[in-house]
Amino acid sequence: MGEIFDINAVFTSIPRLLEVLPVSLQITVISMIVGLVFALLFAVIRMKKIPVLSQLVTVFISFIRGTPIIVQLYLTYNGIPLLLKFINQEYGTDYNINAVPAMLFVLVTFAFNEAAYNSETIRAALQSVNKGQIEAAESLGMTYLQVLKRVIMPQALVVAIPPLGNALIGLLKGTSLAFVAGVIEMTAKGKIISGSNFRFFEVYLALAIIYWVMTIIIEQLLRYMERRFSIPDSAQAVNRGGWFSWGRRGI
Amino acid sequence: MIKVSNLSKSFHGNLILDDLSVEIEKGDVVALIGSSGAGKSTFLRALNCLEQADKGVLDLEGFKVDFSTITNKQRLELRKQTAMVFQHFNLFQHRTALDNVKEGLKIVKKMNDREAAQIALEQLEQVGLSDRAHYYPKHLSGGQQQRVGIARALAMKPKLLLLDEPTSALDPELVGEVLQTIKKTAATGQTMILVSHEMSFVYEVASKVLFLDKGKIVEEGTPDQVFNHPTSERAKEFLHNYFRNKTGNQ
Ligand SMILES: Nc1ncnc2c1ncn2[C@@H]1O[C@H](COP(=O)(O)OP(=O)(O)OP(=O)(O)O)[C@@H](O)[C@H]1O
Ligand SMILES: [Mg+2]
Repeated sequence: MGEIFDINAVFTSIPRLLEVLPVSLQITVISMIVGLVFALLFAVIRMKKIPVLSQLVTVFISFIRGTPIIVQLYLTYNGIPLLLKFINQEYGTDYNINAVPAMLFVLVTFAFNEAAYNSETIRAALQSVNKGQIEAAESLGMTYLQVLKRVIMPQALVVAIPPLGNALIGLLKGTSLAFVAGVIEMTAKGKIISGSNFRFFEVYLALAIIYWVMTIIIEQLLRYMERRFSIPDSAQAVNRGGWFSWGRRGI
Repeated sequence: MIKVSNLSKSFHGNLILDDLSVEIEKGDVVALIGSSGAGKSTFLRALNCLEQADKGVLDLEGFKVDFSTITNKQRLELRKQTAMVFQHFNLFQHRTALDNVKEGLKIVKKMNDREAAQIALEQLEQVGLSDRAHYYPKHLSGGQQQRVGIARALAMKPKLLLLDEPTSALDPELVGEVLQTIKKTAATGQTMILVSHEMSFVYEVASKVLFLDKGKIVEEGTPDQVFNHPTSERAKEFLHNYFRNKTGNQ
């Protein structure tokens, strides 16, 4: 038997775990982007109070918020094959249930989970933009899309970045549940490694360190974005490049 | 000439504008006065469709719209030809003073950046704020913000400028600079409708005064006619109360 704690096992695990970091990142990034698109859609449906759709979205959001994500993963994992079976039966199609990649279950679940949580954030951010500014833009003769793009979105973004950032960090950590659907991301890989070298603590410690570092990096990026998009505290505007200088070139 | 005919608007069954008709000559400075809730803001907002009027026709130097059948395209065109200055300034908080003034030029008038910047700078100079061009609104005083608001509106070269109580959200010591700017604008021949409770300023600057009460114009004429020789009971009462409070406060 070796020593009680093998620091080497920690260091040797890190590169092996990092091999599947792209899988974790892929789930995070794709789910977040797809989730945000649906979140915006849900937010607009609820803001415009579109009949039927609005009620459906409300129920859906309530359901997602009221159930654990691991249960949602199980539901998708078992539900999509059932759905395919049903479609095959009804329409005489021949979709191969086993050919559905495990990753798809995971992406669908996480994306809709994010959509449900973030749609409230987005709705609040869009509604936080002062109505007077919207009227001022309209009174200049801007179309609604121009107002959305030039006045509402840039200001809503500043409000939405911190909560969306938290959601992103939560999502990254949440990807550790993807093993439920058979996707080998970092946590699943950790299970495999430790199952063969029996250095459970060391491997999970390595895993924890990787998640932590990733989270810190994301936090820094978010802080940078927040600074960049918000109105500077000093009176004289410095030319910071980036979004808000779009209209400032040439002066 | 600008002609408003038979403008009506109600909110939840309450008639706020009651079949109003007004004629304005080019270069007129029309002051709209009346007690709170008379419908002054609603009138201005109906003119550029921030509030959808129930009926009425506007003839803006030949550009005609019927509010009851107005199309989206007409609405945008109408807004392009008018401009509004708001009580609470409503500057775009995420843009500098200069970018606030450039916004309509670039996005609505499709000017290139250089042209827009040039006009915007000239306009800021007109309101005495060249040195604040790169300040964000939150770093400007109320009076400065309102002057940017006026510059933003004037940059669009509107046929009709609408000002809704442009000084009533300001600290008393900042009112003067904004009134000065409005006076200067009036002197350029800019046609405008001004809602204001600053009666002495109205008296000084207006070429025509309208007294609005319960959605109707009950008194109309030169400042001298309306202030010194009002004929309607409501106008007499309103002015009497106004000047009594004014002297009472001193
Ligand atoms: N969006 C709205 N919905 C319902 N009622 C409204 C709305 N806007 C205005 N009103 C009502 O219309 C009436 C006229 O309002 P308006 O703001 O035009 O008055 P005003 O003359 O500008 O008054 P003030 O001097 O206080 O600004 C008021 O009774 C007000 O409550
Ligand atoms: Mg008003």
